[in-house]
Amino acid sequence: MEILDRVKKIIADQLGVDEDEVVPEASFIDDLGADSLDIVELIMAFEEEFDLEIPDEDAEKIKTVQDVIDYIKNHTS
Amino acid sequence: MFHTEICDLLGIKYPIIQGGMAWVATAELVAAVSNAGGLGIIGAGNAPAEAVREEIRKTRSLTDKPFGVNVYFMSPFVDEVMKVIIEERVPVVTTGAGNPGKYIPNLKEAGIKIIPVIASVALAQRLEKMGVDAVIAEGMECGGHIGDITTMALVPQVVDAVKIPVIAAGGIADARGFLAALTLGAKGVQMGTRFICSKECTVHENYKQAVIKAGDRSTVVTGRPTGHPVRVLKNKLSRKFELLEEKGANPKEYEALGAGKLKAAVEGDAEYGSLMAGQIAGLVNEIKPVKEIIEEIVNDARVLLDGMVSGKKWR
Repeated sequence: MEILDRVKKIIADQLGVDEDEVVPEASFIDDLGADSLDIVELIMAFEEEFDLEIPDEDAEKIKTVQDVIDYIKNHTS
Repeated sequence: MFHTEICDLLGIKYPIIQGGMAWVATAELVAAVSNAGGLGIIGAGNAPAEAVREEIRKTRSLTDKPFGVNVYFMSPFVDEVMKVIIEERVPVVTTGAGNPGKYIPNLKEAGIKIIPVIASVALAQRLEKMGVDAVIAEGMECGGHIGDITTMALVPQVVDAVKIPVIAAGGIADARGFLAALTLGAKGVQMGTRFICSKECTVHENYKQAVIKAGDRSTVVTGRPTGHPVRVLKNKLSRKFELLEEKGANPKEYEALGAGKLKAAVEGDAEYGSLMAGQIAGLVNEIKPVKEIIEEIVNDARVLLDGMVSGKKWR
C-alpha cells in the first residue's frame, strides 16, 4: 500500500472522519476536528505503522496530512 | 499503612499530593501539606519566573520536606520557569495543559522528578517512554482546566497502559475517594478543592465560603468552544461565559472576559471572579488545618477498609 493510503486509513480510523476528507492539505485541527490529545494518538499510530520514532520537536511541526507524508518519506528507507 | 511506591519515589509519608493550583497554591499551603507528610505543589500558573523563584524560596523557609512546582503550559513564561526550577533544584515538577516532552531531558539531568498531569492513555504512554517518573491521571470532575474522561474511567485504563505509578486526581476529597483511587490501581491521589478549604490556604475567605456552600450541581464548565474548557463554581461570571457561548463568541472574547478573573476570585470577588473548584466541592463542608485533612483521610481509610471486610459501619 502507498504511504498516502496507509496514512489516510490511520487518520480516518483515529478521528472518525471519512477517508475522502483526508486530503494532503487538510489540517488535523482546523479541518479534521482533532484536538491535541488526538494528535498524540495519531503520532503514536504513525510510529507503530511505519516503525518510526517521532520526537516531540518534530511532532509539534506536523500540522497537515502532507506534513506526515513528508516526514515518513524522509525518515524511512 | 497506605505506604506506596509514590511515597518512596517522592520521599513523603502519605501518598497524598496537593494540586498545584495557580494563585491558590502558595508557599503557606504547600509547606503545610509537605510538613503534614504529603507533597505540596506550588502553582506557577501564569506567574513570571522570578515570582516563582520567590515562592520556591519562601516554601523552603517554611519546610525542609520535599515539595513541587506545577508548570502550566499555557503560560507565556514556561521556558524561564523551567530554568528557575532547575536552578533552585526543586525536588518535583508536575505539568498541566500541555505536553512537557521537550523539557524532560533537562529536568532528569538535574535529578528532578517529573510527573505530568494527563487526561488520556496515549499521552501517558508517550510520556512514560520519555522517562517521566509517574503520571497524574486527572478526571474531568476536577476544577480548573479539564479533560474529557472521568476519574473512574480514566485511572484504571491508564494504570493498565503504563508501568510507572499513577496518581489519581479529580473528584477526591475524603477517605472514600482516596481508597477508591487506590482500588482503581492508583498509587496515590492529588486533591485540589479539598485543600482550598484549609486553614493554611491563603485565598480570600469568600472563595473558601463559596466552596463550602457549593452542592453537587454547583460547578459548570465554561469555555468549551475555545478548546480549553474550565470548571468553575457557578456565579455571575460563569453566567457571562454561558451567554458568550450562546452567541457563538470568538476565542478572543472569552480570553478578554477571563483575563485576571482567577486572581479576582483569590482576592475575594465571589461574584465576578473565576472560582475554580471540582465537582467534589459539595462534599467539602468545613475549613480545617491541612494536617487534620490529611490525617483524617488516612485514618478514615483504614477504618473504611476494615469495615469493608468486617461489615462494621463507617462513622
